[in-house]
Amino acid sequence: MSYHTSAYLFLFLPLVLLAYQITPKKVRWVTLLAAGYVFSWMVSGKLVIHLIGTSLWSHYIGVWQAWLKLRCHMELEHASKEECANIKKNYKKKERTVLAGGIILLLAILGYLKYYNFFAQNMSQLSATLGRREPLQAKALLLPIGISFYTLQAIGYMVDVYWEKIPPERHPGKIALFLGFFPQIMEGPISMYSQTADTLWKGTSLKGEHLAQGSIRIFWGLFKKMIIADRLYVVVQAIFENYSQYKGAVVAAAAVAYTVQLYMEFSGSMDIVIGSGRMFGIILPENFRQPFFAKNASEFWRRWHITLGVWFKTYVFYPVSMSGIAKRWNRFGRKHLGKHLTKVGISAIALFPVWLCNGLWHGPRWSYIFYGMYYFSILMCGIMLEPVRNKCLEILHINDQMFFWKILQTGKTWIIIFVGELFFRANGLRAGIHMFLSIFRDFDLNKLVDGTLLNLGLDQADFIAIGVGCVVVALYGIVRERNLMGERKLQKLCLPVRWALYYGLILAVVIFGAYGVGYQQVDLIYAGF
Amino acid sequence: MQDFKRKLKAVRKTALFFGILSLLLTSLSKLMLRISMENESFVKSRNKNITGIQKEPKNTIDALILGDSLSYSAFSPMQLWEQQGITAYVCGQSGQKLQEAYYTLLTAIKSQTPKIVILETNMIFRDQKVVSSLQTTIIEEGSYRIPLFRYHDIWKPLLIGATYGEEMYKGFSLREAVVPYTKGEYMKKSTDKKEISEGVQYYMGKIIDLCKEKNIELLLAATPSPKNYNYRTHNALLNYADERGLKYLEMNLLQQEIGIDWNTDSLDKGDHLNLSGATKVTEYLGNYLRTNYKLSDHRKEAGYESWEKTGKEYSEKIKEKLR
Repeated sequence: MSYHTSAYLFLFLPLVLLAYQITPKKVRWVTLLAAGYVFSWMVSGKLVIHLIGTSLWSHYIGVWQAWLKLRCHMELEHASKEECANIKKNYKKKERTVLAGGIILLLAILGYLKYYNFFAQNMSQLSATLGRREPLQAKALLLPIGISFYTLQAIGYMVDVYWEKIPPERHPGKIALFLGFFPQIMEGPISMYSQTADTLWKGTSLKGEHLAQGSIRIFWGLFKKMIIADRLYVVVQAIFENYSQYKGAVVAAAAVAYTVQLYMEFSGSMDIVIGSGRMFGIILPENFRQPFFAKNASEFWRRWHITLGVWFKTYVFYPVSMSGIAKRWNRFGRKHLGKHLTKVGISAIALFPVWLCNGLWHGPRWSYIFYGMYYFSILMCGIMLEPVRNKCLEILHINDQMFFWKILQTGKTWIIIFVGELFFRANGLRAGIHMFLSIFRDFDLNKLVDGTLLNLGLDQADFIAIGVGCVVVALYGIVRERNLMGERKLQKLCLPVRWALYYGLILAVVIFGAYGVGYQQVDLIYAGF
Repeated sequence: MQDFKRKLKAVRKTALFFGILSLLLTSLSKLMLRISMENESFVKSRNKNITGIQKEPKNTIDALILGDSLSYSAFSPMQLWEQQGITAYVCGQSGQKLQEAYYTLLTAIKSQTPKIVILETNMIFRDQKVVSSLQTTIIEEGSYRIPLFRYHDIWKPLLIGATYGEEMYKGFSLREAVVPYTKGEYMKKSTDKKEISEGVQYYMGKIIDLCKEKNIELLLAATPSPKNYNYRTHNALLNYADERGLKYLEMNLLQQEIGIDWNTDSLDKGDHLNLSGATKVTEYLGNYLRTNYKLSDHRKEAGYESWEKTGKEYSEKIKEKLR
């Protein structure tokens, strides 16, 4: 049961809303938690036990850390000044060990379930190359839905407790709800404990305005998913699954099509998720902020899958930047290499694990690791060439705020994004390389209008729907980017205009949505990660 | 008091919003349905039969046939007309599920008063998981109440002139290709029974109740198909029909009487019947209906002139195709 299905939208969600409202305020969290587990059970069956286990484990680690902190304070009260530093150091070490144990267990389970077969396959190939037999056998491992998302949330909670950003939670139900809020289970957004736990726990009564805002956000998500993404899926599937038959402009178009499909699909499902949360009065963190307006790859990642980026920045980038090795490099670099090279080196030290983890997080495939390394290389190039770029701009008297420069930068970023998504979607790294190289063979733009694209499963009307849909999304993007109208301003429009927009949106989804006879219901892409 | 007034205002506003929305959906549904009925070629294959039955003049259909692709491959209403004067319509769909059959029946009886419903039984064994079954139910209930959901993409033929033509006669799909079935006897005696899921039984119950309420006879019919039927399905159907007091016609055990020849009567290696197979099955069914049910012979009756005309055309076409 995905978020865009009728079972979720017309049965599950309304039933949970009803159950939530009729439950006494104090125990509404139980209703939400039960809904989360039922949802997870409906998708993953018995594997829901992993979600429950992760919640209990996170709670236990948090409480253990709290107990250590308490012991530390108690000992400090009776200690002399000389002993204090030693006691603090000892307890910090203990806390660090507890935290490491907590994280390692979660990562070990995630690693085993998600990456064991990848590891086994590669080890077997390596053994075969070295002439050894006894390959590692692949295992039939099932992944609980959303494991990659809620594991990160659980780790975030443990680390935040360690850093004392939040007090450890004593009630296991509150952590369980934070990890198991049903709209978030499948695809995130990956929230931090301080962002959602309290509002989830509050049990605020349903309000008409929240229900209306949530519903409209859900319809906006359905607009992106059902009108654009589910149609593009057909073209993307046809070209990427038979990539050897296509070259030139058609492959380039496939890369663009997949990027648009992925954006509409993922941001659309996020709209449904955030809208679902909004109906309960809960504000979930945004995952997208007009990513195609980015001027460079770094900015793109601050606008695309924001919560994943923030997570890696908070729990990988900063700790590595502050680590001993980074500090030692900093000292060495400033002495021997100068400011710029030191910056390049420290960026490489901190960014490499971030992008390796980002690639691996998406799944056990070399193409995902390549995807991570691709962005690592591009970001590093950007940092390394920054002085050259600045010099060129100075010599050519170009102001980087000039319109044509911004357009150029945006165009360059789009190419980076499209190439990245081509490798991301391709059936393996080899297929990705083949497809990328094939773009430069017989590149002929006529292929896009000579009917080739009409033999891929979509007709002209479908392409018109995609085009018009994209224009609508782009226009709304411009409006949001320029801060002309956000959801709040929309609420302030006069009633007939607002209602006309709502009816237009609802009818657009009902009439132009790719559902019913002749269409296939397309699973959510990120639910597979 | 002010709080009450504010709440009342909010309720009124919500009611108005949904009132206008339902008005829009209803009006668009009527428009889309009318366009679909006027332009059969605008309707996609799977929706053609449910659209077609709504186009038939009121209270003219005596036998309504439900089922998956086996139903519209096996029963030819125009042949039933030509041979028995029985007016029938096949409301089958490819991969039809029980929920779809139920809502199709509900739609059909809005304008028709059939004497008998013939339910091709293959869909009884179509496996449905809980969530997907719920989804089908929601979609069918929605499409029944708001036909816009079913006909929403009529804008496509209107915009680009795309059409979905198919040679159909009152729901029967005319397909004469031959790919023989060669694997021999498939109805080997056994005491095993294939399971009929609870979800299917629930919707079968609803169909049975609806037929009872409307005074319609219900006949379960298993058409010859080595790929889909065997003795396990037969035992299950026999048991179910006994339990529910239904009539059950197992044509897979009547191959000799019907005259099925798997070298000439199979469309695709024993999955569906082709035109030749359908002709034999329909002839048998016609005689069976004539013997067991009181169905009027409408030939020469006023109001059935179009049946006469289409019947002649159909007979000519069949003679030519089966030559």
